[in-house]
Amino acid sequence: MTSSDSDVALMLRVREGDTDALRELIERHQRTVINTIHRAIGDASEAEDLTQRVFVQVYRSAKRYKPTAKFTTWLFTITRNTILNEHRRRSRHPSESLDALQEPRDSESAGWQLPDTTMRDPAQEAVERELRERIKEAVRELPEPQRTAVILCRYEGLSYEEIAEVLGCSVSATKSLLHRARLALKDKLRGYC
Amino acid sequence: MSCQTVREQFDHRLDGRLSGHEQAAFEVHLAGCADCRREWEAYASAWQVLARDEGIEPSFGFAERTLRRLNEPRVDIRQWWWRPSIRWATLATTVVALAVTARVGHERMLNKRHAELYARVQQGEYLEDYDVIANLDQLKGGNHE
Repeated sequence: MTSSDSDVALMLRVREGDTDALRELIERHQRTVINTIHRAIGDASEAEDLTQRVFVQVYRSAKRYKPTAKFTTWLFTITRNTILNEHRRRSRHPSESLDALQEPRDSESAGWQLPDTTMRDPAQEAVERELRERIKEAVRELPEPQRTAVILCRYEGLSYEEIAEVLGCSVSATKSLLHRARLALKDKLRGYC
Repeated sequence: MSCQTVREQFDHRLDGRLSGHEQAAFEVHLAGCADCRREWEAYASAWQVLARDEGIEPSFGFAERTLRRLNEPRVDIRQWWWRPSIRWATLATTVVALAVTARVGHERMLNKRHAELYARVQQGEYLEDYDVIANLDQLKGGNHE
């Protein structure tokens, strides 16, 4: 049974209200979803809250899930809609958390776990941290849906066809989005590569 | 292979979609063209450096906390006026208002036309017709003769 097949099998159980199957799906995809959201909105605590909302939405929408669709494509569609809703909410209530977009919270100080990295000397670590921040900023600054296309392509390894399905556009439009995003990233990251 | 063609293949090269023959021609061109090589290095390295963002991990107990939220009431992030009940009520009110306006407008238009007709009759615009009608018997009699 492939990972994708078992996702579908788990979703069929979730459709019957099986929360153990949902827990399995959460544990399998939580990192992917939280990072997709974190890269789009730039705030770790909100990313976790929104990730929980995505899985709650998966549970509530389970009856509408058709096994013909690849589970991850469906999951990313819900994730993208959640992000878009959050951006709309922020644009209506800019005082609530929009500042996080400009000044992302330090993930470590906020209690979020970063993957283990080998200790380097402080100067090198500072350069690395600056580079990572610049990369996050450059991706966040991309207009939607270029940003989503980049995240799904570069970090999640989705094919053009899958990205097109999540974005609801054609494959050629997806290629064009990625090309424009790469040109923009080349300019934004000039001097950091 | 022209510079234009090579630059159009940057995305395919990054995504590993060039055939063996195309990739060989691509590499040969880059080896001999400093401009394209510089452009390709900037284009590719900006894409490759994204991998340095390793991402974050969900905090401990994430799945359990998510499952506890399943029974929370739905968060409706839409504006209050976009709720279905309000939308249907607004639509129904609009339809009724349009129907009433159309009905009242139609009645007013009929009344106005009646009033105009009555005024024109009063002013004698149809006098000739009335004369004809009044003298109809005479005219008929004349014909008989």
